[in-house]
Amino acid sequence: MPQPVLLRYVREPDQADIDAYERRGGYAALRRALRELSPEQVTELVDRSQLRGRGGAGFPTGRKWKFVPKDAPVKYLVVNADEGEPGTFKDRTLLEGDPHLLVEGIALAAYANGVRTAYVYLRREFYQAHRRLERAIAQAYQRGYLGQGILGTDFCLDVYVHPGAGAYIAGEETALLESLEGRRAMPRLKPPYFPAVMGLYEKPTVLNNVETLCCVPWIVREGPEWWLHQGPPQLYSVSGHVNAPQVVEAPLGTSARELIERAGGVRGGRQVKAFYPGGTSSRPLPGKYLDVPLRHEELAKLGSMLGSAAVIVMDETTDMVKVIARVCEFYRDESCGKCTPCREGTVWVTQILDRILHGRGRPEDLDLLASLARNMTGTCFCPLGESVPPSLRAGLEDFREEFEAYVRAAREPATMPVRLHLGAPAPGG
Amino acid sequence: MSTVTLTIDGRTVTVPKGTTVYHAARQLGIEIPIFCYHDRMPPLGACRMCFVQVDRMPRLQTACTLEAQEGMVVWTESPEVVEARRAILEFLLINHPLDCPICDKGGECPLQDNTFRYGPGASRFVEPKRHFPKAVRLSPVLTLDRERCILCWRCTRFGEVVAGDHALKGHERGYRTHIDVPPVTQERPSKFIGNTIAICPVGALTSGVYRFRARPWDNQPTAGVCTHCGVGCATWVDTRGGEVVRVRAREKPEVNDIWLCDVGFFGYDYTQHPDRLTTPYMRQGGTLQPASWEEALDVVARALRQASPRVGALGGKRLTVEEAYLLGKLFRFLGSNHVDARADSAFAPPREWAWGAGPFEALDRVGVFVLVGCDLSEDYPVLWLRAKRALDRGAAGLALAPKRLEIAPYLQGAVVHRYGTEADVLYAAARLLAERSGSVPEPLRQVKVQTSCDRAGVSCQAVEDLVRHLARPGPVLFVVGQLSWDGPQPGRTLAALQTLRAVCGGEVWVLRGKGNATGALLAGLAPDALPGLVPPEDPQARARVRAVWGFEPPISPGLAAPAMLEAAAAGRLSVLYVAGADPARDFPDGDLWKRARAKLDLLVVTDLFWTTTVEQADVVLPALSCFERAGTWANLEGRLQRVAASRMGPPGARADGDILQLLSQRLGRPMEYASVDEVWEELRRVAPGMELDRPYSFPRPQPRVEVQLPTPLDGEGLVVVPSAPLFRTGEMASRCRGLPELAGNPTVVLHPEDAVPLGLEDGAEVELQVGDASARARATVDAAVAPGHVLVPVGFSQFPRSRWQRPGLRVRVRALQPAGRESR
Repeated sequence: MPQPVLLRYVREPDQADIDAYERRGGYAALRRALRELSPEQVTELVDRSQLRGRGGAGFPTGRKWKFVPKDAPVKYLVVNADEGEPGTFKDRTLLEGDPHLLVEGIALAAYANGVRTAYVYLRREFYQAHRRLERAIAQAYQRGYLGQGILGTDFCLDVYVHPGAGAYIAGEETALLESLEGRRAMPRLKPPYFPAVMGLYEKPTVLNNVETLCCVPWIVREGPEWWLHQGPPQLYSVSGHVNAPQVVEAPLGTSARELIERAGGVRGGRQVKAFYPGGTSSRPLPGKYLDVPLRHEELAKLGSMLGSAAVIVMDETTDMVKVIARVCEFYRDESCGKCTPCREGTVWVTQILDRILHGRGRPEDLDLLASLARNMTGTCFCPLGESVPPSLRAGLEDFREEFEAYVRAAREPATMPVRLHLGAPAPGG
Repeated sequence: MSTVTLTIDGRTVTVPKGTTVYHAARQLGIEIPIFCYHDRMPPLGACRMCFVQVDRMPRLQTACTLEAQEGMVVWTESPEVVEARRAILEFLLINHPLDCPICDKGGECPLQDNTFRYGPGASRFVEPKRHFPKAVRLSPVLTLDRERCILCWRCTRFGEVVAGDHALKGHERGYRTHIDVPPVTQERPSKFIGNTIAICPVGALTSGVYRFRARPWDNQPTAGVCTHCGVGCATWVDTRGGEVVRVRAREKPEVNDIWLCDVGFFGYDYTQHPDRLTTPYMRQGGTLQPASWEEALDVVARALRQASPRVGALGGKRLTVEEAYLLGKLFRFLGSNHVDARADSAFAPPREWAWGAGPFEALDRVGVFVLVGCDLSEDYPVLWLRAKRALDRGAAGLALAPKRLEIAPYLQGAVVHRYGTEADVLYAAARLLAERSGSVPEPLRQVKVQTSCDRAGVSCQAVEDLVRHLARPGPVLFVVGQLSWDGPQPGRTLAALQTLRAVCGGEVWVLRGKGNATGALLAGLAPDALPGLVPPEDPQARARVRAVWGFEPPISPGLAAPAMLEAAAAGRLSVLYVAGADPARDFPDGDLWKRARAKLDLLVVTDLFWTTTVEQADVVLPALSCFERAGTWANLEGRLQRVAASRMGPPGARADGDILQLLSQRLGRPMEYASVDEVWEELRRVAPGMELDRPYSFPRPQPRVEVQLPTPLDGEGLVVVPSAPLFRTGEMASRCRGLPELAGNPTVVLHPEDAVPLGLEDGAEVELQVGDASARARATVDAAVAPGHVLVPVGFSQFPRSRWQRPGLRVRVRALQPAGRESR
């Protein structure tokens, strides 16, 4: 197994300190870029690395940067550090373990895009990450990696950290911009204006995820060929019924089976009933797909997606109806309320699921749920509402007998399923 | 302009580039249902009702957000679209209370209509409905039913996009989302909240005044004109059983577009108030006693005949154009040119400055507008909406005022100067601009920028910023308002403005007068002008008048309101006829009024209510309100709008026009007209320039350099800056439900530098002493005025113009109760 890249130093206790970071090769990429590379060349390196956004949508980063108008007098870089997708904790790991890696990535991205002001929109609950990042930024200013005339060049950059207010929707990039501007976090109308052209304060804005930017120093330092040769490195947040939930760095396209092994295997040695390959917004897959490479293309074929690469493992004791009801509740609570199908659909779906779970399901409810899943597909304003149908559809198609068991129990209470909420505890633990 | 051609439901349509599919479909007469989209605001795409299918696009598209592209093929009735609409309506209806039978909106509700046409036939929803508090009182005039709300965001966006006051905001999120009032609105009520009721597509936002008063189909709508402020907003007046139950905006893009301010929207109940006068009164033995119309009119006619020509008439803002014309005609028959519609002002400018603004649409094209002593959002609120639109499209807005305007955050520059010194700022700006152009006209050389700025209490930098903005491309417009007209040296302000215009060009608007004051002036209620603003000595005009009237009007100009009162006080005027004005309360020099009143042989007043002037009258004639008679109303632009009566007046009251006709019979010069149209036609023969629904072309003053020296305002105490807020307790507003609560209690504003030595905290109770009189109010400590000044909200009953509007007034302020001592 090759040495990890993104996670190489996150477990080093002193890595958050600038001395240790520099000693381990930190800020070399920034020095190299400012000395040897033009902004366009930095963008070109990122483009050639085929780096894709690690926030969930998987958009090629180099292409995104190329959309930003070169001649605009004011541009912004906004870092999406509002990691909120259930089961996702890779950005937090990077922020807490290697904050300077992000700072260097920010500086490189700002240099490449001609940006002088960057904002980190940080999930408020990341208190530890907040402290470490602020300290890292302060240190970077002291050493001249941020501020005026960076490393003796005429490149200037100010970085501000803005903690959010506890809304999942603020992770959606345009809702994030609204929130950053001081308004209610609700997604903006995108076409005809994407953030790259008209973003924060109506100015061109580069919006990147934490992990994405943490890849950039490595790409600039070691080159895109080296980067691709490493896999390219991808962070998977592995959680659920595994013995050692953790962030696993593995080449893009690693299978769920291998990731589960790296996370200590399924607890109690049980079988995997299902897993979410890319957070709860992706369609959960039955255990038979454990060997599918977790990559954008393969997952799309199965009607799912890589998303934020959060692999949530559910063993054979899991009650899929409860899992799906819980997931729908999450989206119900986090819907921003802007558009009709998301605001109303999420609550209706959870009402029906709740009724089914309480033994008051009707046979026609399954068709009704399928119909609502259909009515919420392609009709919502942003991806939040559209995150409900994949789970519902998987439940009704791949785990239908579990739903039917509940509905049957409404007439024959003795047959009520007795599985516990998110699966039985492992024997002895 | 480039165009695109697309196909919608098999029919092709060509539209300008940038048009949305929604509008392209409308052009073909194809209806696409909407909720959140409103054509006065940018698309939002939230309700998802307007789905259409577009060939070669993977998913359904919202027509309101989708820009039409060349060759696009759109389907508005495909099975997918029909299914999606049904789905959206189902989502909207599952938690809607469906209490249509008792909902104000029932019968004119887009949710009802769209459900009827596109909705599912039956409900699949068996869960408990979501419950919210119902009938939440968001303001004295606004009630929210949260269960009916479909969260289209129109109301919140109206506050963000159109009015700029952010009066309503979304609270909570997801299915708990609801509309509520943010703290800023709790402190200062919105001036435009009625519009949110009008654009609410369901019965969620309802009027605190109209709630449960009628079903829409029972209402009789009549086209009307709002007569409160002078913008002349077009309205629909809904009556039911002879009662005005509601006033709505009538679309008129040139004037109010589709908006009204809250005084217009909620200010109608006075017309059916029990306080209305319904019988004439005559002074007998020192008190006013009810009298018959016969007796009262006889007394008035006799007095007018005996005193002629030492008779005068004041007022006109509440008269129609036709009535004002008849009043002027009658007094000219009596040999008097002493007629003036400006009954509430101590400043009588020459005729070319008399009045005149507009056309309002010029604001849509200006590059820069400069508000000179004009508190636009308080005085003429709907005009502010148009000004804001100009700002939104990139025009610059500047302001000079003795107070910080509420709209200052939207302006590029807002200078707060010492009271009465706007001329100094204007002269300084003229001097700077002239220096830049390289030639300073001789008279302007005596203006020293630093000295002028010091006198005005503003920084030179502020004036330089002003000058920088004035140099922007596009036409320049100066808007002079009430704060200047009523200020200590209005004549000097005009001279300074003329000087600045001579240097940088630009149009001038005079925003002055309420109700139909402009129309009254146009119709001849001015001492120095016959109908149509022509001087009385103009031979052509005299010939026209003689031919129509059959008698010769007096040739020399009459007395303007202040001079008329001086003449009365000196015993040179015996009878004063006051029509629809309240000079005892509103004329800025209360002492002069008192002296005049004391010497008058007869004071005749026509009005709706027992006003201060009515109290002092010898004969009181009950009149009709603007809802109760047909006629023509002019706005600030001189745009003449004809309306019909929307209700009957109270028995016993008569229209001013009828009163004048009855008087004319008794005076031996019968003016008899079968209809308003006859009066109008006669007026058009006398003043040929008058046409319905066109802005009047007022005579405009030509710019010229003239430097006037300031008159120092000496004295002790704080200088009073009188400023009338939109919500105040006038005779009409105080008799409308909701408006007095919106007005609240009057608040004076002091600068922190003055408050500290007085030991005044923000919110403290203070007493303002002037001479032997005093008034109490709560004080706000805020640098919204210059040091040494106190902002006084005139128009509240505690602060009548007659005492507090006097220019240069100084007061002593005394703290009565520190903030929070009594109650918090």
